[in-house]
Amino acid sequence: MQLVRTGLIALVVGVALGAATPARADDTAEASTSVFAEKRDGGKGGLTVIHPQLDLGVDLGRYVTLAAGYSADAVSGATATTYSVDAVSTATKFSDFRQEGDVGLGFQGRQSKLSFNTSYSTERDYLSRSIGGAASVDLAGRNTTMALAYSHSWDQACDKDNGMATPLDSRALLGSDPCMKSGISGKDDPGITIWKPLSIDTAQVTLTQNLSPTLNMQIAAYGQVLDGFQSNPYRSVDVGGVNAQEYIPNVRARWSVTARVNRYLPKLHGAVHFGARFYDDTWHVIGGDVELAYSQYIGDSLLLRIHARVYQQTAAAFFKDAFYYLTQSTAGAYYTGDRELSPVRNAMVGAKLTLISLGGDKKVWHLFDKLQLNLKGDVLFLDNLAADDTTMNTAGIGQQFIYGNSIVDAVVIQLGVLGNY
Amino acid sequence: MRAIISALAIAIVASLATGCGRTAVRASEKAFLADQVMMFGADPHEAASDDHIKSEREGAAGGNGAKGGGCGCN
Repeated sequence: MQLVRTGLIALVVGVALGAATPARADDTAEASTSVFAEKRDGGKGGLTVIHPQLDLGVDLGRYVTLAAGYSADAVSGATATTYSVDAVSTATKFSDFRQEGDVGLGFQGRQSKLSFNTSYSTERDYLSRSIGGAASVDLAGRNTTMALAYSHSWDQACDKDNGMATPLDSRALLGSDPCMKSGISGKDDPGITIWKPLSIDTAQVTLTQNLSPTLNMQIAAYGQVLDGFQSNPYRSVDVGGVNAQEYIPNVRARWSVTARVNRYLPKLHGAVHFGARFYDDTWHVIGGDVELAYSQYIGDSLLLRIHARVYQQTAAAFFKDAFYYLTQSTAGAYYTGDRELSPVRNAMVGAKLTLISLGGDKKVWHLFDKLQLNLKGDVLFLDNLAADDTTMNTAGIGQQFIYGNSIVDAVVIQLGVLGNY
Repeated sequence: MRAIISALAIAIVASLATGCGRTAVRASEKAFLADQVMMFGADPHEAASDDHIKSEREGAAGGNGAKGGGCGCN
């Protein structure tokens, strides 16, 4: 489903860019599960995503590290099949299960690291294969680290075989339509379903700098080009009374710049964290966020972090409030019901508690040199904004998406364990 | 947008000019920088989960930086 798909792109890219991280200095194991619950209207219940992750890293001698990981998404809940002034009435229940595996090899020198990574993920209607590479180097004095990362993924999305039909005549994929696979690729079922390609190239350059004994910063520039099928194949848009399959451009280029700063506070045995990001793309979505956090040690083994974030974005150039797709001509234009392409602002507040156990002479649980137990909770708020003139929009925008209009939009709970051994 | 890019460019150049080099922070002064709270993206699973959620709710996904920092030891 689309919900899983956009996350999948992020995860694949994240895995590949994560390869830019320094290779492990020792063997590690990390397991976690996060639960995301979002309120939804439409009488079909909310949306729930359970996301377990497992990663292992082992040193193969002094200079080489082997890493392997697995993650999954179990998604269930309500989704709207048609973007309209009353999308709530088209809400339907769905479920999906995505699995991903990745392996990576890292090489570590005295002041540099090089790593390679490949991943594969599969779900009912989407497949992804990815390779990535990353390199980082400490510059003189070891106060500056430069990192470069690149990844490419070959994705495939299952879609209704609409043949040569025009966009307005194309119909959406149904959950009952078969999406066949052959090995690690999709297999077309002519006349019923076909697999459409999506190519994703992602690059990131990161500069991390120590500015003083208690202050460091990081600046990252990120770019990504997506070329291929990016619509949600299940979604229709009510265009002048016709339920046409969502139709958006095939190419999207995006970039962002992020700056982050950490300041350690020795007297408080804590640290302040600040981050800001600016984003732009060729669909004219412009966004930005600001994040502030504070970490505080409590005794020797407890670490508490509280954090808050605000985010806002503009709409894609072709996004319209549902009322205007319904009432205005879209000849020659794109149309979408993707809320990620709508104007929106959101906020998040949360806290994370970490219990740290250091082995010392005796290992923790007879195995680990260091063991961390993490419990994190976030509360998310959402405010959908109008994309177009509200005075003419007699239907309003309150029902065009099915997620709830309450103050608290979603909650996230994450429980994890990280061990070094 | 041009102003933002210019500001970031100035920040990068300033940070390199003031911080980059052998004497910016000596090895003996890195105790606090080596603390895990000073590392960017110290918990990969948390970062991955956060990115996952953001990508479901926001169009401006990606580009949150990389793991690193702390003591400056690669």
